[in-house]
Amino acid sequence: MWFRKSHKWQLEVDVVVIGSGAAGAVAALAAHAGKARVAVLEKTDKFGGTTAVSGGVVWVPCNRHMAELGITDTLDDAVAYVTRLADGRSEPALIRRYLETAPEMIEFVEGATPIAFKALGRYPDYHPEFEGGRPGGRSLDPGLFDTNQLGAWKDRLRRSPVFGMTAMSVSEATDWGVFSKPSALPFGLLAKRFKQGLVCYGGALSGGLLKALLDRGIEPMLGAAADELLVDDDRVVGVRARQGDKDLLIAARRGVILASGGFEWNADLCRRFLGGPVTHPNSPPGNEGDGLRMAMALGADLGNMSEAWWCPSLQVPGEEYDKRPLHRGDFATRSLPHSVIVNRRGQRFVNEAHNYNDLMKAFFAFDPVAYERSNLPAWIIVDQQYLDRYALMTYVPGMPIPEWLVRADTLDELAATIGVDPRGLAATVTRFNRFAVEGVDPDFRRGESLYDHFYGDPEHKPNPNLGAIEKGPFYAIEVHPGAIGTKGGARTDRDARVLRPDGTAIAGLYAAGNVMAGVTGAGYPGAGATIGAAMTFGYLAGRHAAAREK
Amino acid sequence: MPEVEYSTRMALSRELVWEFVKDMNNWAPMLTGYQKHEIVDDTDSVWTLKGDVGILSRVVRLKAHVTEWLDRDRVAFTLEGLNEKVDGGGLLVMEDVTADAPPAPAPKRRWFGRRFLDWLARRMFRRMHGAGPMRLAAPTAAAGTRLTFTLRMEAGGPTGPLVNAMLGPALLPAAEDLANKIAAHLEREHLPRADDDAAA
Repeated sequence: MWFRKSHKWQLEVDVVVIGSGAAGAVAALAAHAGKARVAVLEKTDKFGGTTAVSGGVVWVPCNRHMAELGITDTLDDAVAYVTRLADGRSEPALIRRYLETAPEMIEFVEGATPIAFKALGRYPDYHPEFEGGRPGGRSLDPGLFDTNQLGAWKDRLRRSPVFGMTAMSVSEATDWGVFSKPSALPFGLLAKRFKQGLVCYGGALSGGLLKALLDRGIEPMLGAAADELLVDDDRVVGVRARQGDKDLLIAARRGVILASGGFEWNADLCRRFLGGPVTHPNSPPGNEGDGLRMAMALGADLGNMSEAWWCPSLQVPGEEYDKRPLHRGDFATRSLPHSVIVNRRGQRFVNEAHNYNDLMKAFFAFDPVAYERSNLPAWIIVDQQYLDRYALMTYVPGMPIPEWLVRADTLDELAATIGVDPRGLAATVTRFNRFAVEGVDPDFRRGESLYDHFYGDPEHKPNPNLGAIEKGPFYAIEVHPGAIGTKGGARTDRDARVLRPDGTAIAGLYAAGNVMAGVTGAGYPGAGATIGAAMTFGYLAGRHAAAREK
Repeated sequence: MPEVEYSTRMALSRELVWEFVKDMNNWAPMLTGYQKHEIVDDTDSVWTLKGDVGILSRVVRLKAHVTEWLDRDRVAFTLEGLNEKVDGGGLLVMEDVTADAPPAPAPKRRWFGRRFLDWLARRMFRRMHGAGPMRLAAPTAAAGTRLTFTLRMEAGGPTGPLVNAMLGPALLPAAEDLANKIAAHLEREHLPRADDDAAA
């Protein structure tokens, strides 16, 4: 809307940040460091956005913590690696900007917050064998955070429905064998930490960022949904927002930073833009593309709109989060021995242990003759050996077999129950079981990459990802297409300024995080690449906005 | 096993309270997160509840088995998780109280951290399930019946300690909720309302 000078502002600040995930929080801290007065608007009643429900890891090549572990890295390697994964859908200058700025951003965040990152030396990049990939060290763990430091804000920090109750750092989860030895986890210690108010993963990252904001007198405005950017003389000068029953006009003297997340919970936008269906998003339901709509209304150019941070999703019937069905991302079930994923013909179609982002692309494969997606629907099949050893969503060995698993004594019966071709399934399992004995999967190369091994069972021989499916009963659960966020949005320049189609910047408007055209294009370089890029462009946006003349 | 107890008082006769409590169909829908219940026989029923486990909500099916049935006095039952590894039980006790009787004994004073957790749990509970029933009369105002609800639940299995850490703080609000809903319902049905008085 064109702002009329007769309007009266309810609040006047230098920089308005829309969204409280890592992109927004770092943008606010960077703007504050640049002597700007900042307001942070958060649509939901909790602080932290998608970051708070995530693994909270930050992917930063050439970070100083990996050097402390003796892992070497170079900017050129990182650029070559990300460029290949981006698949031509991101701009080389932005890739380089991300990778050269991220280490500086981490130094800034560590200086401004109580967070002390630790490099995960054994967490490989998602394609560690590619040129420029690394076997570990680029992903940074925020550790644990004591929510008591937040005082009255303790209860307003968003908690993950999956990780929010088990306060273990990513390093601990790795050391304790969270995937391969779930029964051996120290549940007593985790209970004690829960009672103490400790949080981990994205909760720890968001908690540390919130603490830093509060320490600077920046109290995020919760339940404040921005719905319109206000423009005067071709420049964004403020935001219209709704908080409860109040309409707010907030002046942003130096700029507005969109950090409002993706649009994966907006079915209409998903249908119009995404390359595949996302029926089961894994993020908080507030991600409905608000920032994208506001940027589009001002004529922003868009990029990477068909892409998301894809993730296979499983669902326990009846589970809800924020009053919407909870969709759990599946990171390990499909990577552990004694499991396969099959389509309706009972055939495998992908390396099940591959990284969640790229794996999903195989689910969207389209058969032009049949004119259908060949691999949807799809099911994970496991046998009793799997359930005797490993976890499956809420199930841990020693608990009753969940009712939400389809169970049958034979594979034929199982196939009939879930509507899969029994002959196809039998042939697939026979072939897969031979691979399990040999320890090699010539069909899809499962268990070949160091990445696959990270999510496998290191004690299972000969291959940590391959185990025969042979001991009944047999079980199935449908795998749904999900995403931890979309990554298409407003195109930006090197300072996160939103661009028009002609390449000029919309004065006073910035974007960072999943509302901006994703800098990694189609790819997912490693754990925390979502947050790493989000924080880096949030940092650049905050810094640039603060430096603008009033 | 985590156990909580909550008492409330109604200016209604014990007979009247018993008439309501003795039929599980009357009060099962007042259970927190109630979805449905099925009566199996005189002593057994299956409750389907949507419970808040920490941050998310989950559907749990519990088999309730009545172990004690004393007319106008008490109902005791056990609970067994059918789809989750949880066990527990409950006890509803009705007692006559006179007008000058002291209020229900205050629960044992707990350490500060526990009281804070209870407060936090109540706050979260009310946010998720609403503010709770409106009572028509001050619960200690007159002779009547004291209804005490004791509830205990414990999760088993390897994750038991962790689930119990989350379950524990949610028990007291759940016990309060049920007892107050029963009381509010009976008061609404049987006590004159303020606006009735005004109309008279």
